[in-house]
Amino acid sequence: MSNRIEERLKQLQEKKEKAFITYMTAGLPDMEGTKEIIRAQEEAGTDIIELGIPFSDPIADGPVIQQASYESIQKGTNLKKVFAMVEELRKDCQVPLVFMMYYNTVLYYGLEAFAKKCADCGVDGLIIPDLPFEEQGELQAALDKTEGAPLLLQLVSPVSKDRIPMLLENARGFVYCVSSMGVTGQAADFHKNVASYLQQVKSVSKIPVMMGFGIRQAADVEKFGDYIDGAIVGSHFIKLMKECNYDKTVIQEYIRTFKKEMNA
Amino acid sequence: MMEKYYGEFGGQYVSESLMNTLKELETAFEEAIHDPKFWEEYNYYMKEYVGRENPLYFAERLTEKYGPKIYLKREDLNHTGAHKINNVIGQLLLAKRMGKTKVIAETGAGQHGVATATGAALFNMECRVFMGTEDIERQALNVFRMEMLGATVVPVTSGSCTLKDATNEAIRTWAKDAEDTFYVIGSAVGPHPYPKMVKEFQRIISTEAKRQILEKEGRLPDAVVACCGGGSNSIGMFADFIEEKDVRLIGVEAAGLGIETGKHASAMAIGMPGVLHGMKSYLLQDEDGNVQIAHSISAGLDYPGVGPEHAYLRATGRAEYVSITDKEAMDALMELCRLEGIIPAIESAHALAHVFKMAKTMTKDQIIVMCLSGRGDKDVHTVAAYLKGEDCNK
Repeated sequence: MSNRIEERLKQLQEKKEKAFITYMTAGLPDMEGTKEIIRAQEEAGTDIIELGIPFSDPIADGPVIQQASYESIQKGTNLKKVFAMVEELRKDCQVPLVFMMYYNTVLYYGLEAFAKKCADCGVDGLIIPDLPFEEQGELQAALDKTEGAPLLLQLVSPVSKDRIPMLLENARGFVYCVSSMGVTGQAADFHKNVASYLQQVKSVSKIPVMMGFGIRQAADVEKFGDYIDGAIVGSHFIKLMKECNYDKTVIQEYIRTFKKEMNA
Repeated sequence: MMEKYYGEFGGQYVSESLMNTLKELETAFEEAIHDPKFWEEYNYYMKEYVGRENPLYFAERLTEKYGPKIYLKREDLNHTGAHKINNVIGQLLLAKRMGKTKVIAETGAGQHGVATATGAALFNMECRVFMGTEDIERQALNVFRMEMLGATVVPVTSGSCTLKDATNEAIRTWAKDAEDTFYVIGSAVGPHPYPKMVKEFQRIISTEAKRQILEKEGRLPDAVVACCGGGSNSIGMFADFIEEKDVRLIGVEAAGLGIETGKHASAMAIGMPGVLHGMKSYLLQDEDGNVQIAHSISAGLDYPGVGPEHAYLRATGRAEYVSITDKEAMDALMELCRLEGIIPAIESAHALAHVFKMAKTMTKDQIIVMCLSGRGDKDVHTVAAYLKGEDCNK
């Protein structure tokens, strides 16, 4: 069965364009606002949207996303409400959506129920930063059983080294290459070996390679252009949206500029 | 390779960037525990620096009042005043072996932070301790101690500003700095191999206690009791008794204002599995699967999860877990002061309160061994506030 992420990446490959991926915390400024921003992003050309499901203890996130997560929980956001929002959105919006979430949220919902609900609502991918490859078996089994289930995307880090072949062997969608050690949003302070590491991943990967963590503008990834197929902007995007008070014009302008510069 | 799970509990729920770090740690730990020289060094510091072995004290007046023979394993007499130092020395010797020069730690009550700062000074390591601002306020004296010992105390302002959040921040920092930094976890929690490491380095409590009780009584105790937040003193107190099937093992969690009020720290009482801090175990959660804030008058028991081996011991029925309210613990604390002249930590007073309860169902010739995990000097201002009727349960 085809998947929106794989379809979009194939189209981009044919056009020889790089993918632009954003991260936003679901429920900010509110659930209706999230929906509108997703639509605005699709219109401006964001290729894939990561939707953060807020969790009380986001151990892979830096201060910006921690704060966003906290605010969203305060506003009453939970997985059920996000599912309802996505279901509604899918009536007229086909942008590929990835849930970025912590494993406890999935576990609490129930693995099989979660897989089925994702398939029903039209969630295309999952990023679960506290579920490393070795712990993915149970969830992957639940996903495999479900028709139209989202792809469990693999993360690779600058110190993954000998683990890379194992991580990539059956990976689908795209590979999420973390540019620095630690948490999200530490400016463009990439790991010292980032270039050689991206090169290594690119040389083994059969699927597109995306770079994320600490990226703010197209110039940040320019020198890695040969090794990556796209860039992911998270903390900076959250900050930008907050600072412009979720002004769609500003958000769309940012997206268009990034895409244009990255593909120049 | 070691087993990463205890039944369905345990595992390594960490980010990809820590997986090689954990592997490196596991390899080093496995080599160390099979190296007699490592244990020689560990035992040297246990004796000469920590002051072990500490007594298994026969509490005569408690026994007189409550019935069964009550023995207290005096971890409060260790250097730094609690059992935490046992594990810290073990982990720091391992860090040294691995060539790491910097250490980080999380702390709740401040005991593990003080122990880590102490060990770091001893072994000439750079030390940062993460501590929630809520705990910094409750345990100001320990903050000052850590600073005197040369450590940097990093205030953590996220979430509930307690141990859970300090642990999150320590994990975040570790994920960033693991290349030269060793993370000293203080409780029997975290991703594999931490729960195993903490158990091995706290095992000395039960190894000594078992030998001591056999010397004094010529037989094993009927029950072994210890308080249980994350569960480091209790797993150490249980370790050498787990295979002795006739010995009851009882872990005492904090019931705060009462389980029914929702303001407690008893993950076991609720029994809902979850994933936090790199492990699958029992975890306090709300109806959205977010981690619920734990409540207890004792900063050291104020943790929403519990070590995975405890979850396994409960699930398999090998150990029992009960809970004690703030009030019951404070009453027991005062009782120990007055009857035995020992000021216990509020954490340890939880175990004691349960000893008094269970004593009612036991006979005079039966034996209870309880782990008196720490001394109460750090808690005197909390006790004072409590006795004045102030709200001490955050």
